[in-house]
Amino acid sequence: MSWVIETEKLGVSFQTRQGTVAALQDINLKVEPGQVFGFIGPNGAGKTTTMHVLLGFITPTTGSARLLGTDVRLPLARQHIGFLPEHPDTYRFLSGRELLQFTGRLFGIRGRDLRRRIDSMLEEVDMTATADRRISTYSRGMLQRICLAQALINDPDLVILDEPTGGLDPIGRQQIRAMIAGLRSRGKTVFFSSHELSEVELVCDSMAILVGGRVVVQGKLADVVKPGQRLESYFMDVVRSRAPAGATHA
Amino acid sequence: MNTIFPIAYVVWLGLWRRKDAYVLLILMGAMLLVLSSLNVFGLGGKVVYIADIGLVLTWLFSALLAVQIMARELPAEQSRGTIHVLLAKPVTRFALVLGKWLGAWAAVSVATLVFYGTVAVLVYARGGHLPGPATAQALGLHITALAIITAITLIFSTRMNHDAAAAISLILTGAAFLVIPRIPEFVTSETGFTAGVMLVLYHALPHFELFDLRQWIIHDFGMVAWPVYTQILLYGLAWITGCILVAWMTFRRRHFSRGDRML
Ligand SMILES: Nc1ncnc2c1ncn2[C@@H]1O[C@H](COP(=O)(O)OP(=O)(O)OP(=O)(O)O)[C@@H](O)[C@H]1O
Ligand SMILES: [Mg+2]
Repeated sequence: MSWVIETEKLGVSFQTRQGTVAALQDINLKVEPGQVFGFIGPNGAGKTTTMHVLLGFITPTTGSARLLGTDVRLPLARQHIGFLPEHPDTYRFLSGRELLQFTGRLFGIRGRDLRRRIDSMLEEVDMTATADRRISTYSRGMLQRICLAQALINDPDLVILDEPTGGLDPIGRQQIRAMIAGLRSRGKTVFFSSHELSEVELVCDSMAILVGGRVVVQGKLADVVKPGQRLESYFMDVVRSRAPAGATHA
Repeated sequence: MNTIFPIAYVVWLGLWRRKDAYVLLILMGAMLLVLSSLNVFGLGGKVVYIADIGLVLTWLFSALLAVQIMARELPAEQSRGTIHVLLAKPVTRFALVLGKWLGAWAAVSVATLVFYGTVAVLVYARGGHLPGPATAQALGLHITALAIITAITLIFSTRMNHDAAAAISLILTGAAFLVIPRIPEFVTSETGFTAGVMLVLYHALPHFELFDLRQWIIHDFGMVAWPVYTQILLYGLAWITGCILVAWMTFRRRHFSRGDRML
């Protein structure tokens, strides 16, 4: 089995003035191709940090990670990846269309291919009408959408989304869910974090729960959560049983 | 490698769109004001003075612009959080550093061209003229010097915020301009530790005076011999390459987690 995401004994610690913070410990994630994988956990559990390691923003203190079989430290690993950050922001002096042109060029897409790709992406995120306005005039949700469009410009095989529905209205959330389903139907892999567990339940095939920098549960949603049980109540049970007594973690 | 030009282009677009071009207009206005008020100071508005002071101001303004523009690029990527969008693409850290430098340098070069044009027009207005070939040579070396200044600033901007990087780069550039050429005079009169420090400085900082052909324009000395000119260019190229490599090395190992956004 070739994994789309594979981490081995991944650990990250940060040096702060107060000492060393172990943000991730011994993370062994395995994500199969064509799956929608929900990555959930309380605030500060290490979801964003894990994604940052996968994208090469930070090098792991211990262990290793591969995307589509390529070590994440190589830029090549990101050729077929799309990423939407937690607080997406971009060059506000560009128009939406110019942003997509820029990111398309970073992937080496040009000319007619690029134009066609941009038009279809704008359509998909419902931004065709506002594509030629400066991003500085966009609302939070519009910004989220254009950032999502730039994340998908290269038709990625793996899409990593850090809280993709944050800041979106119910219609926007619905669109994101539809988009994730669309990606899966085209054989893409989606790895996303979310605090909206009802949403995770709706779209995920597999999931992992991260608590305090450790993966405490990983598997197919159907195997993990018993029929009739809600993911939310399962999550609560797991987190409560894992949280050390008197923990004041954020 | 095909990621460098899009990155440079966005630097350039950002400078235009964020109305930084106004700064250029203000500086040009300042230049016009100074040059046209020379009469008032009893200098008679002689063409030589206009050219001389105009070129001094051009060096000063272009160096300030170079530091200000370059010092902002990488720190702004972090404070905006756009670095995450950028690095999630198949962009190498080297391409990012090189693209940023190229964009900033290109913008400063165009600004410098505008300053030279302003000086030329003012000189013509007073019935003089700038010698064409010598001015072109001077412009070439001037722009090379700006490439060094931006490359030095780039190094500091990989690890510092905008203000700190700009301040250090300005101090170093100022020192290189004002102190370095005078060091040989000092050293003959000083001994021991001070002389040692001076000598180290003399060799460690770039010799911008080599790139300064103002006198050749003002006094119409003709052109610098090409072998000499080429050597100066190569010296500049060595500095630029060295600085960009150092910037890449300091940037390569940087972590970009949320903590860095607070910088
Ligand atoms: N640069 C840093 N320096 C020190 N500690 C950090 C740094 N970045 C993250 N951390 C710590 O690592 C832990 C994990 O943070 P992370 O952002 O990955 O959590 P998260 O699961 O994404 O949380 P949220 O749901 O709130 O987005 C937190 O305790 C955080 O304070
Ligand atoms: Mg997070």
